[in-house]
Amino acid sequence: MRVEFDADRCASVGMCESVAPDVFEVGADGYLVVLEPEPDEAHRAEVESACDSCPTGALRVEG
Amino acid sequence: MTARADRPYDPLDLSSLAFWSSTAAEREVTFAELRRERPISWHRPVDNGLFEDPNDQGFWAVVRHADLVEVTRRHDDFLSGEGIVFESMPQELLDAGQGFIAMDPPRHTRVRRLLTSAFTPRQMNRIDDRIEANSRRIVDGVAAKGEIDFVSEVAGLVPMHNICDMVGVPEEHRRLIAHEAQFAGGWRDESLLQGADPLTRLFEAAGTMREVCLELLAQRRAEPTDDLLSALVQAEVDGERLTDDEIVSFFGLLMVAGNDTTRQSTSHGMKALTDHPDQLAWLLEDLEARLPVAVEEIVRWATPIMTFRRTAARDCELGGQQVTAGDKVVMFYSSADFDPEVFDHPERLDLARHPNKHLAFGGGGIHHCLGNQLARRQLVSVVRELLTRLPDLQVVGEPEYGTGNFFHAVNAMTVRFTPETERARVPA
Repeated sequence: MRVEFDADRCASVGMCESVAPDVFEVGADGYLVVLEPEPDEAHRAEVESACDSCPTGALRVEG
Repeated sequence: MTARADRPYDPLDLSSLAFWSSTAAEREVTFAELRRERPISWHRPVDNGLFEDPNDQGFWAVVRHADLVEVTRRHDDFLSGEGIVFESMPQELLDAGQGFIAMDPPRHTRVRRLLTSAFTPRQMNRIDDRIEANSRRIVDGVAAKGEIDFVSEVAGLVPMHNICDMVGVPEEHRRLIAHEAQFAGGWRDESLLQGADPLTRLFEAAGTMREVCLELLAQRRAEPTDDLLSALVQAEVDGERLTDDEIVSFFGLLMVAGNDTTRQSTSHGMKALTDHPDQLAWLLEDLEARLPVAVEEIVRWATPIMTFRRTAARDCELGGQQVTAGDKVVMFYSSADFDPEVFDHPERLDLARHPNKHLAFGGGGIHHCLGNQLARRQLVSVVRELLTRLPDLQVVGEPEYGTGNFFHAVNAMTVRFTPETERARVPA
């Protein structure tokens, strides 16, 4: 499983971080960092839900 | 397509002062019928009383949970830049108080990004001690009294101290700012206005906020600290510093959104716990573990902001209705949060409700409540402090509710409890 992140679409709303804080973090500069681009399979539901919650469609789960 | 001027108005009333002066339960009867029969309905302009706009022909009412989420997510179709309250307002006031909440991308994104990192869950972990200390201090201040106005002595102070700590408003300005901030949504509230002309009073409130903000900005430019005002004076957007007017406007937004929301949730929450002793007992059985879930239900129950408006960017379809460019589209959060399609028995307070897909912080769009994590932490903290130290606290009589279509306001609410000192002397 891989998280595909489109930085141009991201609006730094932080919905993903509130769902999966171990995988996503809005940094001090206000830009999103994907901490775990290839999260453990055990976290699939949480990561998919985080990606679905993105209001600008900047996140996708591949594989 | 029917031209806007020829569209018939829905027979149900969402526009009168009487509707917004009735109780939440009475309004719910109207919302329930609309959700069932006509989920996207066209209504006459809301009674304003502030500013007559001859071009205002009405608004679409969005009352179902699913439709509210859709409007929120379609931020290209439904814009915020023309105002987010459903009345038309003088442009100076929109500029003064709505900050980036009434902006659209791309500028909205760039400005909001300046503040996002201050409100993340990680940042909340860092300031948790401050939040706890503020709750303790507030309960310290009332614990010996036995009977208080809960709104002014507890519920209003919790968000006031926390948001002012973050933004950088010193102690001496806090009460004034928190009071003035109420007029942003409370300009039709007689008990708040105390006879003043609404428009005059609203401009006065904006002027006071501006004065305090400019004074603080001068201090931060001379001597920056680690607060949000310092961040804003140093920030650049598109290679340019923010203007004073912009910072004043963001300050206004942070103060209004920071103060007038959690104040309502805290008050509605304590009222709900008094009214539902079985739920309170359940919560107290395992307070620490159950509180985060319970707080979500308290927030749903309170839904402190009842409406937000968008404006259609183009002709488009919404829930089977043809919306015309320029139409006002108003989302009714207090209706969506009681939608039986999403909530089993929404009329029941169920502190164990989980998942709880309430929309009190928004429908998951780009304007989603920036302070949602802060609000949750504050509520957990103050409810824990109250229930632990003043466990027999009860609301006495009926609260004094605000009128108006924006904040679900509790203006005053008497509570009674055994003073902490007496309880310490007489072990249970």
